[in-house]
Amino acid sequence: MAGRIKILVVDDEIIVRESLIGWLKKGGYQVDSAEGGRQALGIIDEREYDLVFLDIMMPGVSGLEVLKELKGRYPQTLVVMITAYGSVETAVEAMKNGANDYLMKPFEPEQLTLLVEKLLQQKKILDENALLREQVASRSRYQDLVGASACMQKLFNLIEEVAAVDAPVLLRGATGTGKELVAKAIHAKGPRRFGPFIPINCGAFPENLLESELFGHEMGSFTGATRAKKGRLEIAQGGTLFLDEIGEIPLKMQVDLLRVLEQKVFHRVGGTGSIPLDFRLISATHRDLAKEIEQGRFRQDFYFRLNVIELEIPTLKERGEDIPLLAQHFLDRFRRETNKPVAGIEAAALDLLGSYAWPGNVRELENAMERAVVLAKGRYLNKRDFAFLFRGEAPDMPFSLEEMERNHIGQILKQCGWNISRAAQLLEINRTTLHNKIKKYELRPSK
Amino acid sequence: MGVLAVVPLGPIGEMAVRITAANLQAVLEIPVDILPAAALPAHAYEPTRRQYDAGRLLEDLVRICPGGYGKVLGVAAADLCIPILTYVFGEAQLGGKAALVSGWRLRGAPSGAAVPLDHYYERLAKVALHEVAHTLSLYHCEEPGCLMNFSPTLDDLDRLNLMFCERCRFSLRDNPWRLREVP
Repeated sequence: MAGRIKILVVDDEIIVRESLIGWLKKGGYQVDSAEGGRQALGIIDEREYDLVFLDIMMPGVSGLEVLKELKGRYPQTLVVMITAYGSVETAVEAMKNGANDYLMKPFEPEQLTLLVEKLLQQKKILDENALLREQVASRSRYQDLVGASACMQKLFNLIEEVAAVDAPVLLRGATGTGKELVAKAIHAKGPRRFGPFIPINCGAFPENLLESELFGHEMGSFTGATRAKKGRLEIAQGGTLFLDEIGEIPLKMQVDLLRVLEQKVFHRVGGTGSIPLDFRLISATHRDLAKEIEQGRFRQDFYFRLNVIELEIPTLKERGEDIPLLAQHFLDRFRRETNKPVAGIEAAALDLLGSYAWPGNVRELENAMERAVVLAKGRYLNKRDFAFLFRGEAPDMPFSLEEMERNHIGQILKQCGWNISRAAQLLEINRTTLHNKIKKYELRPSK
Repeated sequence: MGVLAVVPLGPIGEMAVRITAANLQAVLEIPVDILPAAALPAHAYEPTRRQYDAGRLLEDLVRICPGGYGKVLGVAAADLCIPILTYVFGEAQLGGKAALVSGWRLRGAPSGAAVPLDHYYERLAKVALHEVAHTLSLYHCEEPGCLMNFSPTLDDLDRLNLMFCERCRFSLRDNPWRLREVP
């Protein structure tokens, strides 16, 4: 692993440069050096560096100037600013300009190791996230659908075939699997793509309103019909009508719709003029319509009319391998929408998402990502950002014993105003142990 | 004549030097000679940090080591640093001739008291082996327990075994022979 990591050390002091290079080389890293800003800018294009140690105070081109140029050309390269005692303010300014961290000379050996390990872990996440983004942008993206799994690739191929013909399509899939997106993809790929795509959730309207919503009405056809209104069937002319939750349609309405589909004409409620039917019909349900027919809640003839072509949409659990892609896709979207500086998702968080059951399917993942991005405190979403999925009751409870210990010690130290003796007494450990724990967990008093 | 010279630098217990040399000889399977002690050079002292610059001591070791020895290890009791790090337990020239170990920080225990002498000697031997292996071009190793783990704290050092992992042993295998080749 270390051998593939390319590091550049930029410092005008030869002893600093040589000792840092010596230390990094012992770790097996590939290390180059530059003795000034100008030389650094000359060589950053020769090799794409994973990590750059950059001295702030250098004659000629300063570290801050190099930082701006470097981040402009290679935003993925991580930069650690090296600063001397007394120039911390400049380091803070550098952090605002995109530096990933800073070190004050001389550093504690442990601090340097932890920093390098942390940054290389970050780099790994950034690289993985970039790869996922690339995948999302290429083969795994079909219209607004995202999926690289075999079942989704098969579905994309089916959509391609189905879109070319004008036959009714019935989409079957659990709630939140993306039935409307599939319907939109069929519409967008078909010959009616320049016409409107008109969706209606049949389960959202009471029977009388659904009739008016679908067929439209003439003025005065019922109390409150103060003016004529086009129904969805009419608005969908030339395009696609998407009847979502078709299993919720009352039996009487099923007859009306069946008649329309067979006769290819319909009337507005209270109207007499025939309007020719000219749309493609796509319907969707999460119900098992065969069972509904058996129980007398759904007409078989209507079912046959709707179900000329049937497409099954897989649940998110059935295509678990798509979770990282979808997570990245939603992360990119919500980052844009919320303007939050969330750079990626940690591998452990992706593993956690993969282990969840997702009863609400892609929609639940979408909501989880939105919540995580909105509430994110760090640059990378971690396991804690998704803890709410597993425990509604105690959302802040950590997963591991170590996390629990870290939080508890931090809490006690805060309560004691960082009085080590008092905190050690409360925690019933000795001061040295407490110091070791503070060091281990990198606890610091909050400012 | 051995292939590795051990040079006591400044005041350091004779037993510490002997045990360190014995461990190098046993683990690396090479003949080791203990040379007469040398004084810590004043020019390597950093008064502002009250420490010795390990880099300069290494240069000095190369200079004072008699010809015929492939590698040289300095054993000191003084506190060491390098320009970028506040302290080091030891230092080495990667693929070079000289290595260095200091006992200054190796006596500490978590309780604040000193560890027993045998524990101290074991730490000294671990750092010495680690640093000498750097002169044989070995990098830091991630295998848990291997002597080539980077160990910035005593806790880390105490977690190491007094042996190299299989991969590092493999890398070292031909090196004793190479030691003899170095003029």
